[in-house]
Amino acid sequence: MNLKKYFIRALHRLQKGPGYTYKELLVWYCDNTNTHGPKRIIKEGPKKKLIWFFLTLLFASLVFWQWGILINTYLSYNVTSSLSIGFKTMKFPAVTVCNANPFKYSEVKHLLKELDRLIEAALERILQPTPGNSSENASPPLDLGLWHQIPLVLIDEHDKDNPIILDIFESNQTALVNETAAGNETACSHQGSDNCTYRNFTSAAQAVTEWYILQSTSILSKVPLHERIRMGYQAEDMILACLYGAEPCNYKNFTQIYHPDHGNCYIFNWGMDEEALNSSNPGAEFGLKLILDISQQDYIPYLSSAAGARLMLHQQKSFPFLKDQGIYAMAGTETSIGVLVDELERMGYPYSDCTMNGSDVPVKNLYSQYNTSYSIQACLRSCFQNHMVEICGCGHYMFPLPEGVNYCSNEDNPGWAYCYSSLRSSIRHRQICIDSCKETCNDTQYKMTISMADWPSEASEDWIFHILSYERDMSTNVTLDRNGIIKLNIYFQEYNYRTISESAATTIVWLLSSLGGQFGFWMGGSVLCLIEFGEIIIDSLWITIINVISWCRGLKQKRVQARYPDAPPTVSELVEAHTNLGFQHEDAGALPRDEALPPEPGTPPPNYDSLRVQPLDVLGPDSDVE
Amino acid sequence: GAMAPGKKITARIKRTLPVRGPQAPTLSELMRWYCLNTNTHGCRRIVVSRGRLRRFIWILLTLSAVGLILWQCAELLMNYYSASVSVTVQFQKLPFPAVTICNINPYKYSSMKDYLSELDKETKKALETFYGFSEGKSKVRRSVDEWNSTGSDFFKQIPLLKFEDFSKTVTDFRSGQKRKIEGSVFHKDSSIVNSGDSNDIIGFQLCDANNSSECALYTFSSGVNAIQEWYKLHYMNIMAQIPLETKEKLSYSADDLLLTCFFDGLSCDKRHFTRFHHPLHGNCYTFNSGENGTILSTSTGGSEYGLQVVLYIDEADYNPFLVTSTGAKIIVHDQNEYPFIEDIGTEIETAAATSIGMHFTRSRKLSKPYSDCTETGADIPVENLYNKSYSLQICLHSCFQKAMVDSCGCAQYAQPLPAGAEYCNYKKNPNWMYCYYRLHEKFVKEQLGCQQICKDACSFKEWALTTSIAQWPSTVSEDWMLRVLSWDKGQKINKKLNKTDLANVMVFYKDLNERFISENPANTLVILLSNFGGQLGLWMSCSVVCVIEIVEVFFIDSLSIVMRRQWQKAKKWWNDRKRDRSGKPLQASDLERQGHDNPACVDEDLPTFNTALRLPLPQDNPLPRTPPPNYSTLRLETAFTEQLPDTLEVGQH
Repeated sequence: MNLKKYFIRALHRLQKGPGYTYKELLVWYCDNTNTHGPKRIIKEGPKKKLIWFFLTLLFASLVFWQWGILINTYLSYNVTSSLSIGFKTMKFPAVTVCNANPFKYSEVKHLLKELDRLIEAALERILQPTPGNSSENASPPLDLGLWHQIPLVLIDEHDKDNPIILDIFESNQTALVNETAAGNETACSHQGSDNCTYRNFTSAAQAVTEWYILQSTSILSKVPLHERIRMGYQAEDMILACLYGAEPCNYKNFTQIYHPDHGNCYIFNWGMDEEALNSSNPGAEFGLKLILDISQQDYIPYLSSAAGARLMLHQQKSFPFLKDQGIYAMAGTETSIGVLVDELERMGYPYSDCTMNGSDVPVKNLYSQYNTSYSIQACLRSCFQNHMVEICGCGHYMFPLPEGVNYCSNEDNPGWAYCYSSLRSSIRHRQICIDSCKETCNDTQYKMTISMADWPSEASEDWIFHILSYERDMSTNVTLDRNGIIKLNIYFQEYNYRTISESAATTIVWLLSSLGGQFGFWMGGSVLCLIEFGEIIIDSLWITIINVISWCRGLKQKRVQARYPDAPPTVSELVEAHTNLGFQHEDAGALPRDEALPPEPGTPPPNYDSLRVQPLDVLGPDSDVE
Repeated sequence: GAMAPGKKITARIKRTLPVRGPQAPTLSELMRWYCLNTNTHGCRRIVVSRGRLRRFIWILLTLSAVGLILWQCAELLMNYYSASVSVTVQFQKLPFPAVTICNINPYKYSSMKDYLSELDKETKKALETFYGFSEGKSKVRRSVDEWNSTGSDFFKQIPLLKFEDFSKTVTDFRSGQKRKIEGSVFHKDSSIVNSGDSNDIIGFQLCDANNSSECALYTFSSGVNAIQEWYKLHYMNIMAQIPLETKEKLSYSADDLLLTCFFDGLSCDKRHFTRFHHPLHGNCYTFNSGENGTILSTSTGGSEYGLQVVLYIDEADYNPFLVTSTGAKIIVHDQNEYPFIEDIGTEIETAAATSIGMHFTRSRKLSKPYSDCTETGADIPVENLYNKSYSLQICLHSCFQKAMVDSCGCAQYAQPLPAGAEYCNYKKNPNWMYCYYRLHEKFVKEQLGCQQICKDACSFKEWALTTSIAQWPSTVSEDWMLRVLSWDKGQKINKKLNKTDLANVMVFYKDLNERFISENPANTLVILLSNFGGQLGLWMSCSVVCVIEIVEVFFIDSLSIVMRRQWQKAKKWWNDRKRDRSGKPLQASDLERQGHDNPACVDEDLPTFNTALRLPLPQDNPLPRTPPPNYSTLRLETAFTEQLPDTLEVGQH
């Protein structure tokens, strides 16, 4: 009992709040709160009171609804984009130049000799199906080992249900007369097994090219890397002249990189070892000027049919994916490329789904062995190669190798071509890679304005070829010609950047000010009002506790002292009545006994402001007559 | 207790919901009450401040705060319809666009002989007359000459003319005679003519057939342009008379144009192409037109996985006067878009591999009220003549065609036919060329109103192309390549192909990043209200409640006070008149009660929405009460609580 008393006293001390009943509390709150509506409720007459009550409710619900919208907006993490265009001193892009043809034919001839003879014979058979060709008889017997792995066949689809398949070297030639224009290639997973697919081509030219690429990659994949680099085009042979702005440069300023598609590629201003060069002026005079020689005579005839230099502009420290982003430069022309740097800077998670450096992408980046930064192309290719290693057991020649894996070749992996082509056309695997790779947040593209002119002009041709030949080969003979020489000008345009950068549309500051705006707009409230409200809830909680306690006590006393008609005032009430001076007037207002005067003639109480409060007339009429 | 039940109820209502007048008896009191009790911050300061200067400053501050609020809120409202731009990049499987490929030469010249021989003969004659160009040196076929011309009147009508020294003397190439031009003459581009210093100017004259004095003279600084324009004019006349089916046969078939096709690492053929007849380019072929319901998509970027086509451009069969360049035209567009090859096509060179890297951007604008664009084109009063989705280009062409049909009576050859119209030719519409040139001039000068009517579309797709060219086939591969390609074409022609008859095109996605630029409303209602709330709160700590207060106090209450004043004045005037007539002196009580402080006056007011509910009180309370002391300082808004005496007085009247 002692403890209980103590507890109650403690409650009272803590409470000292605005009254004993909920009504008192509410009236006190309405009168004293800083929000605008509730004050009105108690200050007005009954009708207006009702109106104000509903208005306040309406506004409160409006505020909560709008808050919901605002918080939702905030959590959707919208971004706003700002665009800026202009010229500034920028890092000159890294320029990768390659030859469209990966190897010098003179260097790889000994490796491809058998293959070339095979394809020549095959072409001969296709094009001139009449037997008794003299060239065929004179040549030494063909090595049909290569052929049997992946033979070229002709498929006659005149009869759709029963296509006739003819192996070029094994069928009788008379049958070829009735052929449709369908050069076809077939790939078997294992020789002699039934697990074969035919890759159909409607054009023999395509079939032959694809077949040759498949065969030659298999052959060349066995050649060690340094040997392949030696067989490719050397920098001093390819890059004849170089000028950056007013400064001369030469092939030594280029970084060599071995690219599986294009052999030796040379990157200017890659920024791997030295600082990237800046360009602070627009125009061709301040850009990079190159003269290249692609020596077209030394092309592998069946491998690449297009002749030219392949070049690409990319960011420093990124790997050049020439098949995707590269452009051609034609021999015998001067190609001018005006560059506009188109940047997109994004915020990353949670604003947009992108990756800053690729560390959060679940694909092992195989291009990191080149020391290059993450890019979506690198991710997709690594993803493909990982699948390839997983399924076919060897790596594809076009992509870097994971550790401990070898490139596919016909000897070690006889079924690799079948495996590769089925994997390549598998939409499911592509989708897996697309889903697991993310684009980078900072996306830089180089928008190029390409124009071309004939170069060198007929009048200047002679001396230009003479000088360039002399410089390269130290010979007075002209070793260059129109079919090999390319001039390139790469420079910044007048406006060299267009940057789209994202910023958060909704920050926490925005959220708070909007929340405040809404609350203020409808109810004139602030955070303090919310605290007030919280206080009232705590108060009402106290009142509930007190009421429950007093009710319990009343129950007990009722049982003991049932003879008293009215419950005596509780201790807390008595105590509070004396201690809580601040709210005496509320008591007076709330209790009807002061107002319950009969309508006798007499002087009504003086209308002193200090004595009169709103509840007087609010509550007055209720207990007036009845 | 002796009241009627209805009265009792009304009395009860009256008691429980007593009706009160305004918060104060007079305007100044009301203002004072308002200032003291309002939730806004400034007003209270005005009232409680001591001293005139201080009060004046507070009035000034409050007013400027109100002004600021109004200004800022007006700004907020005016900027409500602004849009913010967001750019999103998505890496995904992308739908491959439709790729339309045409030969630059529309129809095989060999098969057009029947139709064009006469025109060609005229052209050659003109060349010979003006420039001494003789037949023997040209590659033009002799067979044309053998055609025995019956002499068309139409060529006579619009001959090529040679002008001499800006005089109105011209030489007609047919007669070789000099004559003066009659009628009013205007030049198509007068600035060039006037500034030029060449002696001989070639042109042609178009006259209104109905009114021969109305003539337009079209001159060109170079004969090349003049001959081509003149040729084109007649060519369109001839072509307009040929039905579509015949024209499709005269043009190239898919087998003629397409040698090889390769898409996404797989072989494709003519079945993947849809024929599309273009009036100026003949038969064009659209890859991935989506006609069979499926749209191809690519899930890998790069040149290997795009579309690779080798085209056969039969240069020997080119029309020498109509087209002077060799190659193909290609356009990348959406499946729903009409390919405007003649306007925005990319030209493809022969004997070269053209690599076209694409970068996909999708844009979306907000339509009204943010910007003036149209979503579907349904709200544009121009009928879409093309069977494709709306674009600005389609609208402009349709608009011009409509104007053409309206004013010239026939349709222009290069654009589709509206319902019920037919193409212009000089058999049926001898006047059309003059009409067309005048109309086109108006169109270019924006006098037809087409540019005003047509709006740009709200959403559009764009494929930015990076085009580069390499030599193809390379010198070492040329031999086998041409042999194999000839074999591919094999059955049809037996000669070996020439590399200048071939063009290799590669169209591919550079990357699968789709850029989506979209406009979003910068403001929503929620944000606007928040901003209002912020402004109101910042300057005056005001909210909607204050606005309601203001409405209540300044409109309802003030109005009722003013009305009451007027009513009292009227009553007083009425009483005075009555009294004057009866000669009675004023009663003290009357005087007393006219004081503005007298609460007894309160309920004399005109009905406001509060008093509309008022009902008469029972008159069972005749006991007079002493009115409360009239201390102004003590009386506040509740001075009107004492109602019984007032109603009593009403009852007494």
